Amino acid sequence: MSKPDSAGQFEQLVLAAILSLRDNAYGVTIHAKVEELVHPKSVSLGAVYVTLDRLEDKGFISSWLSDPTPERGGRAKRCYRLEALGERALQESAITARRVWESIVRVWGKDWARQWGKRWTSEAG
Amino acid sequence: MRAAPSKFAEAVVRLLLPPAAREQVLGDLKERYSSPRQYFHDAASAVPCVILSRIRRTTDPAVLMMEALVLYMSFFAAAWYLDTSFLSDQNSLFRIAIPTASALLGFLLVDAYADPAHRWVLKPILQAALGTGFAFLSQATLATNRAWQVPPQIMLTGGAMSLLLISAIRMLLAASDQRPTGTG
Repeated sequence: MSKPDSAGQFEQLVLAAILSLRDNAYGVTIHAKVEELVHPKSVSLGAVYVTLDRLEDKGFISSWLSDPTPERGGRAKRCYRLEALGERALQESAITARRVWESIVRVWGKDWARQWGKRWTSEAG
Repeated sequence: MRAAPSKFAEAVVRLLLPPAAREQVLGDLKERYSSPRQYFHDAASAVPCVILSRIRRTTDPAVLMMEALVLYMSFFAAAWYLDTSFLSDQNSLFRIAIPTASALLGFLLVDAYADPAHRWVLKPILQAALGTGFAFLSQATLATNRAWQVPPQIMLTGGAMSLLLISAIRMLLAASDQRPTGTG
């Protein structure tokens, strides 16, 4: 049996955005969420579209057209949801990120980790 | 009243976007609209990516290779049959490659801009005709440099053969516009 594709770094961001947006995941909201995740960097709308297509081709996500809305000039949204393959890829990515974190902490020490923890908390707050 | 992009700007973006992605991308751009400058920036970032992504999704490398071979062999056979002296020219094989490459570019664009919502029996023939048209367009752009042009009778015969064979290939093989219709 062939191993399913893994997700690249930007793909992980888009998958995480779709996961957190739940039923409201479409181009504009996904782009906004990804920008929030990569803050202070910025991301182009085009990069998000290309990644959504690639993720759909890999079977990580699926899409459908919603009903048209007036604020979009009567145009429909293409909504996205995570599929089982995408969930698995995201879980694998999270586990890998945790292993990377743990191996860094082993070398640079727990004090360093605590400092980073404080910095993250202040940034999030 | 909510600010909206100009009708002209929307019409240009609409024209450039492949039909499969038009609805959602135009809607997203409108929803994000805050100023003409921001709209232009968003459209300039999104449209090329959507086109390239659509080309990637609608292109089957095996079919494209087959079409390249058919095109090149058609022009070569036409030259061999009509004017063997053309083939003795040291650049002749490269000269035949120019309309071949142009037609392939045409096929990439024709497939990317095919509307998945509209399917009809003669669509593969129309697509083949449009793609082959790019071969003739390449010859028109070479009008100022005749040394690289392919003689008209070879272009017409080779073009007709290509049209026939590529229409047959496209009718036999699965249509490229029956693939997923995501954002681009």
